[in-house]
Amino acid sequence: MDPTPLQDSEPAAAPAVPHLAAKARLLLLFTVLLIGAAVLFLLYARGVFEPTQRLVLTTDDSEGVAVGMDMTFSGFPIGRVRRVELGPTGEVRILIDVASKDAHWLRTSSIFTLVRGLVGGTAIRAYSGVLTDPPLPEGAERPVLRGDATAELPRVIASAREVLENLTAITANDAALRNTVANLQAVTEKLKGPQGALHVLFGNEADARKVVATLERTNALLARFDTLAAKTDTQVFGPEGVVREARATVVQLNGLLADTRSSLKKVDAVLVEAQAVGANVRGATQDLGALRGDVEANLRKIDSLINEINRKWPFSRETEIKLP
Amino acid sequence: MTPASLRQSPAGGSVVTAPIRWLVSWWEVILFGAVLMVLALSPSSWRDPRTRAALARHAWLDTAPILLGFSMLSALLTVVLTRIVVVTARSYGLSQYALEMVIRVLVLELIPLTAALFVALRCTIPNGAALAEMRRTGRFQAMRSTGVDPLVREALPRMVAGAFSMITLAALSCVVAALLAYLAVYQLTPAGLPAYTRMFGHVFNPSVSLIFVIKTVLFALAVSTIPMASGAYEHFAAAPSSRESAALQGLVRMFAVLLLLESVSLVGNYY
Repeated sequence: MDPTPLQDSEPAAAPAVPHLAAKARLLLLFTVLLIGAAVLFLLYARGVFEPTQRLVLTTDDSEGVAVGMDMTFSGFPIGRVRRVELGPTGEVRILIDVASKDAHWLRTSSIFTLVRGLVGGTAIRAYSGVLTDPPLPEGAERPVLRGDATAELPRVIASAREVLENLTAITANDAALRNTVANLQAVTEKLKGPQGALHVLFGNEADARKVVATLERTNALLARFDTLAAKTDTQVFGPEGVVREARATVVQLNGLLADTRSSLKKVDAVLVEAQAVGANVRGATQDLGALRGDVEANLRKIDSLINEINRKWPFSRETEIKLP
Repeated sequence: MTPASLRQSPAGGSVVTAPIRWLVSWWEVILFGAVLMVLALSPSSWRDPRTRAALARHAWLDTAPILLGFSMLSALLTVVLTRIVVVTARSYGLSQYALEMVIRVLVLELIPLTAALFVALRCTIPNGAALAEMRRTGRFQAMRSTGVDPLVREALPRMVAGAFSMITLAALSCVVAALLAYLAVYQLTPAGLPAYTRMFGHVFNPSVSLIFVIKTVLFALAVSTIPMASGAYEHFAAAPSSRESAALQGLVRMFAVLLLLESVSLVGNYY
């Protein structure tokens, strides 16, 4: 017997597969290609084929920093943490590979931060304010600023505890607030009493009574003032009052003023006449001026006549001066 | 120590107590797997064209018919899980972590395990049962008498084909899951490709990738070797007497090993 093992070995004989060897090779090739492509994609995704530039960030605490985590710029991942190591002076050195095509975003003035959020992992972020600065050189070493949301929690809790302790102290049995409230209650009780607020103000009942008595006497005084005011009214504004007499005096004064006004008008007329006299005197004075002018002219003529006579006269003086 | 001498070493079934028998049976499974590995890596095993033909036949018949079905199944699983995770993450405002979680859960953990179980149930456990049947009907003895090693001729092609099938299924399903997860989140646009690629690189760091590869290879070895060992070993301490009990024993042992491997890989990935 020469059994075909493949068929005999099967519990139920299977039909022969046409082109079995070719199909098996194809399947093997498919699997190998699939796995090879997956490996290549993975290497590409890990950035193996990407040219990078090294950047070293230094900090004092590497908590939350893990190999493989991203460094972002404006939310875009531009680099990966390759190593985290301790430096010679105990500082933490975070070695980051920045993709060369994104390295131009990092400048010499760039700032790097390491932020730990309440939810999610730690994030390394880069900020470049002045993009015209020179680019960051290969292997540059920069300090990283730390910001930790959870680091604030202990401080907040400490403050909250302080506030709570203060509250406890305020509301304690022997606290000032409790005494104040008790006093307030006593005051309220006094307010509700027969003397009311006066009792609260003066502290004892006797003083409060004095105030009431003072008020009553003031009332009586006011009543007397009232009668005094009525009498004054009669004296001043009554039929024989001061006001009426004053009014009669004013009427008489009015008559006196009218008389004075007529007297003044007469004086005014006298003054007008005096003014006319003055005007006449001024005209006479002008005529006197003209007369004086004539007299002066005549005198000048007489003078010039005498001078003429003196010159023509035989006894006239020799006026010619003879030089030697 | 040759495979023939291994097969003929009795384990002393009646005199040992149950725990020792249990230990011995596990030891024999490990030894059987080692022998098959050595045989698979020895060029002399593949000199016979009939062995190569058997390998080709099993590789094709164990992989090709289930490739499409399993890919569809994993695609469905991916779409449903991605949808659930993305919607839930969005409602909590954590959508940036959704895709990473989908990749970790599906590609790293669920799909290799599902592929291993699928291949075991569809191929390797029936193959182990077939070996048990052949051994029971004296087929092995007849082959040995004609100078043919049944381990090389019958068990080895089935084991290698099972391992190959598992790896192919896992690889294809992982690729399909990765593509569908991308489509489920970003739809038909290449805009999310850089972020997705970067996230992929972030998830598959060297240690995770190494654990993933080792886990998948060990899954493949477990699902292909343990059912064969249960069916093919003649002098097993607790050798099954029927085809069904061989299948059941192989299934239970294989489940235990898969569970152990998965646990170890989870510990390696996340602790």
